[in-house]
Amino acid sequence: MLQLEGKHILVTGASSGMGRVFCQMIAKEGARVSLLARNEDRLKETLALMGGEGHKYYICDLTDEEQLKATVSTLEALDGVVFCAGINDFVPLKFVKQEKLERIFQTNYFSQVILTQMLVKKKLIKRNASLVYISSLSSKLGVAGTLLYASSKAALNSAVRVIATEMAPLGIRANAICPGIVQTEMLGSTNIDEESFTKQAVDYPLGLGTPEDVGNAVLYHLSDGSRWLTGNCMVIDGGYSLK
Amino acid sequence: MEMKDFIEHFVEQFDETPSVEVSPQTHHHEMDEWSSMIALSVMAMIDEEYDVQIKADEMRNSKTVQDLYDIVQSYLNK
Repeated sequence: MLQLEGKHILVTGASSGMGRVFCQMIAKEGARVSLLARNEDRLKETLALMGGEGHKYYICDLTDEEQLKATVSTLEALDGVVFCAGINDFVPLKFVKQEKLERIFQTNYFSQVILTQMLVKKKLIKRNASLVYISSLSSKLGVAGTLLYASSKAALNSAVRVIATEMAPLGIRANAICPGIVQTEMLGSTNIDEESFTKQAVDYPLGLGTPEDVGNAVLYHLSDGSRWLTGNCMVIDGGYSLK
Repeated sequence: MEMKDFIEHFVEQFDETPSVEVSPQTHHHEMDEWSSMIALSVMAMIDEEYDVQIKADEMRNSKTVQDLYDIVQSYLNK
């Protein structure tokens, strides 16, 4: 039997990287997927890669509250949400600026919370639904240059625990997944070059992760198999934390 | 953009290297204090001072300070 048969799942950041792979994997497990991202062409590309039926896409800049409101008003009730939209910016402390902090928190934290708030307020999250937030292993570490990213994800982890408590009476679960380094396009677009990531691969006993590795954790979180799991932050890092 | 200013900004990213040691011919990857953190700082400095976002592989493939300067200049000319 398919793990997500009959479920309706919303995926943010659906047009690229991990989000795109998650959409394909979720569709394969029998769910109907609503894809949310900024770029229509890339959303269409993702859609073309997906099997199954009934998927819809929504063009929306998560950081724009009005767009978000408009999009939420057209959504149907959900059995699960995967919050995958995220940005990265590696700068040393001495180059951190209010503006940079705001930009990264806007996408990685504020918009995640606001979207959750809107969905809950509009009663679009069904009983026993699952909210899955893609966080990062870096939220638990102190890697040089990651202040902006790591702290935005740490804030997200805290929000997830509170959301879990508040939603528990409805059987709705909220969890974060904290992956170590995963090979996606986001890596390519950062100012950290591939070579240094390859160098870091030696610190991963099981090697660097793939979007599919994280996708399998997402499927578990979305499925009824994880019905007793909430407020958790799953580290999935190929053994990096063992050192 | 002046080379003199560029070198000044470049040197600011180091904690110990005095500016006399740095010239356009300096091979930055071979400097004692050079590290991935300094590389990140130099990239952030270039972004801040010149509004140019150089790519990580451009940073890695540049050998001398002159190379770096030329990369920034080529973005500014675009």
